[in-house]
Amino acid sequence: MNQQPGKLGIREFVSIAILMVGAKATEDTPAVLFRQVQNAAWMIPLLSAGIFFIPLFLLIKTMSLYQDKDLFSVIKKLFGKYLGFIVCLFIFIISSFAVSYDTRTYTNIIRSFYFTTTPNLIIYVILMVICAYGAKKGLQHVGSVSYLIIFYALLSLYIALGISTQQSNIQSMFPIWGPGQLEIIKLSSQNITIFADFFILTMVIPYVTSNKVFKKGTWIAFVYVSIQISVATLIFICMFDASLAGYAYPFHIAIRFISLGDYIPNVEIIFFIIWIMTAFIRFTAFLYINALMFGQLFKIKDFEYLIPSLTTIYLLIGIIPESPIDITLVLKPLIQNLAGPMFAVISITLWLVAQLKGEFKHAKNKNSM
Amino acid sequence: MREKISKLWKKRLNTEPEFNEQSNTEVIELKKQDISTSYDQNLATFKTLFTVPDNIDVKVREFTITSLKRKGVIIFLSTMADIQAIMDSIVEPLIDNEHPSKKIPDIVSYPIASTASNIGEITEYITAGITALFVEGDDQCYLFETTKISGRSIEKSDNEVIVKGAKEAFNERVIDNISLIRKKIKNENLLVETKPISKRSRNNVFIVYQKDLVNEELLQTIKDKLESFEIDSILDLSILEQILEERPRSIFPTLLYTERPDRAAAFIEEGHIILLMENSPGCLILPATFWALFHSPEDHYLRTPYGNFIRILRILALFVAVFTSPIYIAITNFHVGMIPPDLLMAIAGTRERVPFPSIVEVLMMEIAFELIREAGLRVPSPIGPTIGIVGALILGQAAVQANIISPIVIIVIALSGLSSFIISDLSMNFAIRITRFLFIFSAGFMGIYGVTALLIAGLYYLVSLKSFGTPYFAPMTPHSFSSKDLLIRHVPMKEKFRPGYLKPKDMVKQRKG
Repeated sequence: MNQQPGKLGIREFVSIAILMVGAKATEDTPAVLFRQVQNAAWMIPLLSAGIFFIPLFLLIKTMSLYQDKDLFSVIKKLFGKYLGFIVCLFIFIISSFAVSYDTRTYTNIIRSFYFTTTPNLIIYVILMVICAYGAKKGLQHVGSVSYLIIFYALLSLYIALGISTQQSNIQSMFPIWGPGQLEIIKLSSQNITIFADFFILTMVIPYVTSNKVFKKGTWIAFVYVSIQISVATLIFICMFDASLAGYAYPFHIAIRFISLGDYIPNVEIIFFIIWIMTAFIRFTAFLYINALMFGQLFKIKDFEYLIPSLTTIYLLIGIIPESPIDITLVLKPLIQNLAGPMFAVISITLWLVAQLKGEFKHAKNKNSM
Repeated sequence: MREKISKLWKKRLNTEPEFNEQSNTEVIELKKQDISTSYDQNLATFKTLFTVPDNIDVKVREFTITSLKRKGVIIFLSTMADIQAIMDSIVEPLIDNEHPSKKIPDIVSYPIASTASNIGEITEYITAGITALFVEGDDQCYLFETTKISGRSIEKSDNEVIVKGAKEAFNERVIDNISLIRKKIKNENLLVETKPISKRSRNNVFIVYQKDLVNEELLQTIKDKLESFEIDSILDLSILEQILEERPRSIFPTLLYTERPDRAAAFIEEGHIILLMENSPGCLILPATFWALFHSPEDHYLRTPYGNFIRILRILALFVAVFTSPIYIAITNFHVGMIPPDLLMAIAGTRERVPFPSIVEVLMMEIAFELIREAGLRVPSPIGPTIGIVGALILGQAAVQANIISPIVIIVIALSGLSSFIISDLSMNFAIRITRFLFIFSAGFMGIYGVTALLIAGLYYLVSLKSFGTPYFAPMTPHSFSSKDLLIRHVPMKEKFRPGYLKPKDMVKQRKG
């Protein structure tokens, strides 16, 4: 009867955020980190979270000035029509490429670990079709599904990590500083892209019940996710030690490694089910947000109709690179080195502009009146 | 522009066929009029309307009312009315009485009486078993509710069997059904409204709810929906169910049909709305969520640990029913490495002589199982058990010996088939059985990846389902206040709130005392 989209409650929002960002622990991020700072890799997520905290805090503070406005409207309001449009377009393009290459990464993982004889394209198409279908259903439903499965997703991750510890050696964590403190700090600031998704998540503010819920939800997810990625990385380090650098997707190697007792030697499929479910949720949310961005940019009200065509475009971009190597070694680092710092700069600039324009004072006056 | 084109298309495709129909405007016009004071004219009018004397069970009895010294006539359907009552308390007093009063209600002793003057209205009453009395020179017609319809008595519930708790079930007489609910909720706020929903057969629907609980908006939505269609006849509640549903083509049901009055009463107490209909041994509960369809009344009658135990069993059964066959296919075809080597050898050994791929095997067996099930349901009960034995023997034993099916497939199918019986709601049961086939195909196509993809798509679909504005998985997600009676229920003392998604007028059903 009343079919207007409902809003995301805190449970649903936190579930989406955790599934979106937390999934990074299960793809190539731990390996990429290890290649940079060796056995101190587990510190990077925590330190990056600390560094990204400042721009995120400022961004959320700026956003809270405008009730029920999403990121793009705020950018347009503060930066003006033309500059704002260019900045928004840039964010949209970056996150579009990120979606394309991330989905391709996942396709690669599925193909290389579980369906070695299936053509890449079929796996990719199924992934994208399901995500497009979910995104078309609306963000509230994505939230509901993620809330339904988050418990099982996290539980299975813990079980996988827990069993992995049996095979690991805690001494691999030493020397604790890896290549040296300065190096770690330097690379932490580069790796804030891990949390760039939180920047993009500010697009959904109008779909969350209240600003307070958004703020609270973001911080819960932010703290939780940084710990989760860090712990996962630490466990992978302890498990694989130096050979982690050679693995592309340590989570999948790990679940192939572990077994439930002697009788069931290969349990990777059980974890694969949950992992692929979170992947579906993750990209559904991404697709929806990207469609939302596109709709905001070009003032399209019924942006949900754009989802199928956007999905097709992402699919086409995603299949351009010939081999998985191109993705992991060439294209993804490009996005990774660009996105995080850029989003941080945008956040801080937004806050500065708001400060200079006196928006905070206005808000204060409004409140005191 | 696009809308215009699609409208044009629809017009082109869905032209209503034109029939050369006979007009009945005369009768319709006649029905709009009031009865006249002329006794003979009234008599003639109703005789033509009811085609007397061709219509054998329409009885017209003429007599003289002694005390008034005027002519009178009663019209009733002998098959729908209580003739004894008519004789004792209507005809006899009118003929015999020497009462000085000039008023009909003072003469006739029948307890339930009213008056009407519109011809159409009176006709409707007569068809419902009411006795109409016309008196010479009177412009009113007296109506007596003499309806007496024969039907089943109140029996045990057949389809929703429980061990502990009330056993009685609804039957085809709506009066009985309402009294079954009334006797559980003794409150003046329990309202029974009636609404005609079809024009020709004049089927009524009865809306039952608690006035001081139900959300007005929800009630209005349901009433609007009941008025929104124009149909000649709706004979059964289950047809109304399909008309009311938002997505009649969906695999999953969004309304709850139950034949248990205790269940209906429990839902009314929560602020739900119940629909009843004449001739339907059941009721519709609106709105219904996944949880309502998934629960059984016994969950609450049993002590908390036992109730939760059968709930856990049921959720397990749901998963087993849907996923065993697809997972068997997926694992044997795509993820062989998952099976422990010994078991793998065993499976491979039994499958050695079977010429079919495992998906064909599973499909054959699944279809055979559904056939046995359907046949067992339709055969006359004396030969029912035979079907079971024949089915089990032939399809189980013989198929294995003939190397058509491998024994492990029999285990898989038996397990999933057995589990599917645990879901007690009929519609949900069908939904589960059909989705199983979908999952089997997806498993055959892409293994576990296909199954998971379909599962996620199915979840997206399920959470987007709505039953009169209530999301399918409420109050779990989207979250709303409730007594958390979802997968696991609490002890009754902790169930303090009515479900928040209904927005009842009174949220708290149990206060700290």
